[in-house]
Amino acid sequence: MDPFDRLRSARKRVADPLESLAQRVAERVIDLVVQSLDVNELVQRIDVNAVLDEVDIDGTLSRVDANNLLSHVDVDMLLSDVDVDALLGRVDVDALIGRVDVDALLRHVDMDALLSHVDVNALVRRIDMDTLVQQTDLGAVIAKSSGGMASVALDAVRGQAVGMDRWIDRWVRRLLRRKGTGLLAPPALLNPEAGS
Amino acid sequence: MSSQARAAGWVSAQGHYAGAASRFLAFIVDAVISWGLFSAALAGISFSINVITGHSVAWHRGNIVVTVIFAAWELFYFGYCWGAGGKTPGMAVLGVRVVRADGADIDPWRGAVRALAFPLSFLFCGLGFVGILLQREHRALHDLIAGTAVVYAWDARASRLRFLARG
Repeated sequence: MDPFDRLRSARKRVADPLESLAQRVAERVIDLVVQSLDVNELVQRIDVNAVLDEVDIDGTLSRVDANNLLSHVDVDMLLSDVDVDALLGRVDVDALIGRVDVDALLRHVDMDALLSHVDVNALVRRIDMDTLVQQTDLGAVIAKSSGGMASVALDAVRGQAVGMDRWIDRWVRRLLRRKGTGLLAPPALLNPEAGS
Repeated sequence: MSSQARAAGWVSAQGHYAGAASRFLAFIVDAVISWGLFSAALAGISFSINVITGHSVAWHRGNIVVTVIFAAWELFYFGYCWGAGGKTPGMAVLGVRVVRADGADIDPWRGAVRALAFPLSFLFCGLGFVGILLQREHRALHDLIAGTAVVYAWDARASRLRFLARG
């Protein structure tokens, strides 16, 4: 037998048991270390913020396939656990509506299209005309209308009279060869503050 | 001229001396109102006398008593209206009013003087009214005596708003 082979065989016989012994010793040591280690104390000593600062969250998230992730989420089951009433109860609706620009909102509304969907005839048929008439002060409406007509007639008469005044005045000025517009007024009425 | 432009012209007339047509029409309205009231009063008195005494009373135009009472009534009608508010019902309809010559509001005694001087303008075929036509300030004889003038008092601003509202 080659002396090298004999040496190699002897080393193997010694190394294997030593290796096995070292393995068992290491496992035992690690086990003892872990048992004696206070993990909470260790975690408290870690500066989590510093660790997180060094993490590239954007890069990590960019590698996440969100669609794939969400496809695994059962949204219905998730929402079934949500107490919507309690959630809405915490919403300040007045403040929310106050932030809405109603004018801008209405500018985007196509009123013609909206009204085209309304059945006006059906709407009118639902009105209780008898109650409406009973609650309407028809006397006031008629009086207002009559007053308006009287006012129109009075304005027309006065307007015609002023027109005739000016026509006569124009002819008199022409006959007398008088210059000027003919629109004169007392001093206090030309300058109201002077008359008071 | 468009109707809106015409309305703008009426607005500018406010406070200016009123012309002959407006004043004449106002007088016609006043004459009708005062005569109507006087006739109604006479009819009421006749009816009352008839009911109380059983005798019918007829009022004749030529009756001097009726003429004097009518003159007094006209004097009161115009004098009271001018002195109290500067305008008679006819003037209110036509939108004119009596003011002092300088444009200030008329006082009661000046209204009474104007009413007393008013008949003088009818003398000599209404010669006193010629001033309304020919004078720049459109003042008649009774205006000159009482120191008054007649101006447009029509609330033209409200009128124009009404006009614009009518479209």
